[in-house]
Amino acid sequence: MKSAAALVVVVALAGAAGCSRRSSAAGRNGDMAGMNLPAGSSPVSEPFSPDRAISLPHDEPFAPPGPGRDAFVTACVVCHSTRYITSQPPFSRDTWKGIVQKMIDSYGAHVTPSQAAEIVSYLAATNGAHRLGDEGE
Amino acid sequence: MSRPFDRRGRGMVTRRAILGLAAGFAPGLLPGRGEGAGVDARRMVLFPEKRELYLLTDRPPQLETPLHYFRQDLTPNEAFFVRWHLAGIPTHVDTRTFQLVVNGHVQRPLSFSLDGLRGRFEPVSVIAVAQCSGNSRSLFAPRVPGGQWKHGAMGNALWTGVRLRDLLDAAGVRAGAVDVCFDGLDEPPLSSVPDMVKSLAVEHARDADVMVAYEMNGAPLPMVNGFPLRLVVPGWYATYWIKALSRITVLNRAFDGYWMAKAYRVPNNPEGIEAPDHLAVDTVPISRFTVRSVFVRPEPEEQLSVGRPYEVEGVAFDYGAGIRRVEVSVDGGFHWMDARLDPELGRYSFRRWRYRWSPSVRGQQRLLVRATNHDGAGQLTNHWNRGGYMRCIVEDVQVNVI
Repeated sequence: MKSAAALVVVVALAGAAGCSRRSSAAGRNGDMAGMNLPAGSSPVSEPFSPDRAISLPHDEPFAPPGPGRDAFVTACVVCHSTRYITSQPPFSRDTWKGIVQKMIDSYGAHVTPSQAAEIVSYLAATNGAHRLGDEGE
Repeated sequence: MSRPFDRRGRGMVTRRAILGLAAGFAPGLLPGRGEGAGVDARRMVLFPEKRELYLLTDRPPQLETPLHYFRQDLTPNEAFFVRWHLAGIPTHVDTRTFQLVVNGHVQRPLSFSLDGLRGRFEPVSVIAVAQCSGNSRSLFAPRVPGGQWKHGAMGNALWTGVRLRDLLDAAGVRAGAVDVCFDGLDEPPLSSVPDMVKSLAVEHARDADVMVAYEMNGAPLPMVNGFPLRLVVPGWYATYWIKALSRITVLNRAFDGYWMAKAYRVPNNPEGIEAPDHLAVDTVPISRFTVRSVFVRPEPEEQLSVGRPYEVEGVAFDYGAGIRRVEVSVDGGFHWMDARLDPELGRYSFRRWRYRWSPSVRGQQRLLVRATNHDGAGQLTNHWNRGGYMRCIVEDVQVNVI
């Protein structure tokens, strides 16, 4: 019984090793519930491939239309995708203002005070506290 | 789902009173309802070497593991969550030329190739949970800015590599060393953005459990999980688990970089608690995990049949003391029943728990779970901080019994 369980673990780990190179092999390492791998056991190793490279998927930037959109896209997308905003819940204007100020103070975002004000207005308009009523159910 | 609730938890009253925080948590003040709806709907995405994961952000990538993967004791590499801070993430590593540098306040600055690292030092393995500091942030009420994770910014893996201590000993840490800092291959998109560098006190860095891992679940790490090397700091939040680790620098002073001195700060108390209207002034760098327990099955809004036994299951973990007890309540917290614990896979691992439940009443039912570790540390019924860090709450799941 014990050796059968150990065999399952080895097969599962070998499956995981195979998967890391080819995502098409994903799904082989099955359900490991019930496994009992003591810490310190030596796992199945695979030699490194000499050169590893990936290419990241491009996600189409999404920014709802509205006043200040150009300032937002120009200044913010330099460092991060628009999803940093659109994935957030609605926040008050003050919260958005604090976030924009943090981008300037902590990360050196290249924006003038008037651009910053435009961006804050855009964020508050597109994802502001007035949306709170839409949230939830 | 995760509504704030205030009725349960013996001992909570005392703790809240001590901390003087009770005023901040009147449920009526809480706009958040837990679901992470932004302007953009949450959807799945396929990244290289990964399966479909929830997309939080694409650049830099933040990808969340769907709950069902936690039915497995080891989270598959392809499904393991991803969180980078800087847009310049490594997408290419030539393992023939890659070097890990150990320098700074040492007798012999060293540089290791991957083969050199494997050949020179004894391999060690540990099963440990990697958990983002902000795991479950979307459940904070009131809501806070940051990655809007549910419970999937965590994963449990078998990490294999070399002890950090062995590397430091090879280089010879000089007397007067204070901190050891860690840098990876990721780069800031602008020179004004602080590079992602984290530090550990030299005593912690020399702890036998801290390692430089070259394998995860028996395979090289996926590129977006930190290939070829990742720092593993069992029991501590993954912000310290520097990915694509390339430089270890010993300092004879306290490290004061942005990501320690300004970011990832938490209120200076064990669970990192503060109140929205009474923010903590005294903050410290985030460090070790709080005690957690999460439902894996049933999933939120799952349909269960009345009278039919259902195996409720989940995972619990902590900072390394080990989980001693997990309790489930099916009546809103008035009565608590012990869940059965699966064998321990290591003190830093997920501890699986199970509870057999036969729902006797139709309609919406809410289950609760709480865990206690071997130090007697448990979970809270109210927990909040402005960063959305260190969630330590008695979790619930809402199901529909038909």
